[in-house]
Amino acid sequence: MPAASTIKVMVVDDQTSMRAMIRRTLQDLGFKDIRDKAGPVDALGAIRSDRVHLIISDYNMPDMDGLQFLEEVRKDPVIGKTVFIMLTGSADREIVQKAAALGVNNYVVKPFSSAVLKEKIERVFGELS
Amino acid sequence: MRRVSIIQGENHVSGEPEVVISTLLGSCVSVCLQDPQARIGGMNHFLLGEPGKDHQVDRQGMQRYGVHAMELLINELMRKGANRSRLRAQLYGGANIIAGLGSIGSGNAAFARRFMETESIPIGHCDLGGTQARRVEFVPYEGKARSRLLTEPPKIVRAPVVLPTGGGDLDLF
Repeated sequence: MPAASTIKVMVVDDQTSMRAMIRRTLQDLGFKDIRDKAGPVDALGAIRSDRVHLIISDYNMPDMDGLQFLEEVRKDPVIGKTVFIMLTGSADREIVQKAAALGVNNYVVKPFSSAVLKEKIERVFGELS
Repeated sequence: MRRVSIIQGENHVSGEPEVVISTLLGSCVSVCLQDPQARIGGMNHFLLGEPGKDHQVDRQGMQRYGVHAMELLINELMRKGANRSRLRAQLYGGANIIAGLGSIGSGNAAFARRFMETESIPIGHCDLGGTQARRVEFVPYEGKARSRLLTEPPKIVRAPVVLPTGGGDLDLF
């Protein structure tokens, strides 16, 4: 049973308010090491220099979307195996299937409750303590 | 002009010159956003700002919150060609019209202002607060909105809950 407090997380969302809300939700679930960036380019730079265990990323972002971000992560020899959970605005089957083909670990449809986020993270990491 | 009426939990985005988006507001807030260069705009209508720390909310309940309503509106604007950095906001509603319900309207109005500040979206015309309901009309192509105070509170109409296509989560994981 992994302790949430030991999992380093990077949250990527172009909306500051959404990043703050995800951060609060993760804190309520026991996560302590939470970083966030407004876009994939900044996030890639940050996690290449200081690796994380889990990336939670929005799909709909202006400069690089969540699928492109996932692709960049997966083809990187150093950070390529980082757990990646995608947040989507709707359960768009095409986006989710593309994400699955690119190796996403799970996805969460917005709006989501903290219980749903916890469940999706636990499906990858196992039950959190 | 073609009128599109929205109710609680809905939004509408358009770049068509003949479209007017309208809604009736009590303590709810509507945010009108427009990209003046792309001439695309939209309006939402939300019930509450954001859930409290200890407030357990399910997925359907979350759709009533401004933090998600704003996300949906901004995403739809971007999808139709608006540039996030050019968006301008106009804010309406947030009245405290029902005695005994505290200051829900003021809280909603404060959330809307705080959201725009946090997201660096400039605020133009606002008509927030007070004790009367409002009718708001917004021409997204022009970016022009106007509000009118009503003597009767609006009937609360909730949008039917629309589940995502595929009946919720896709069963891939």
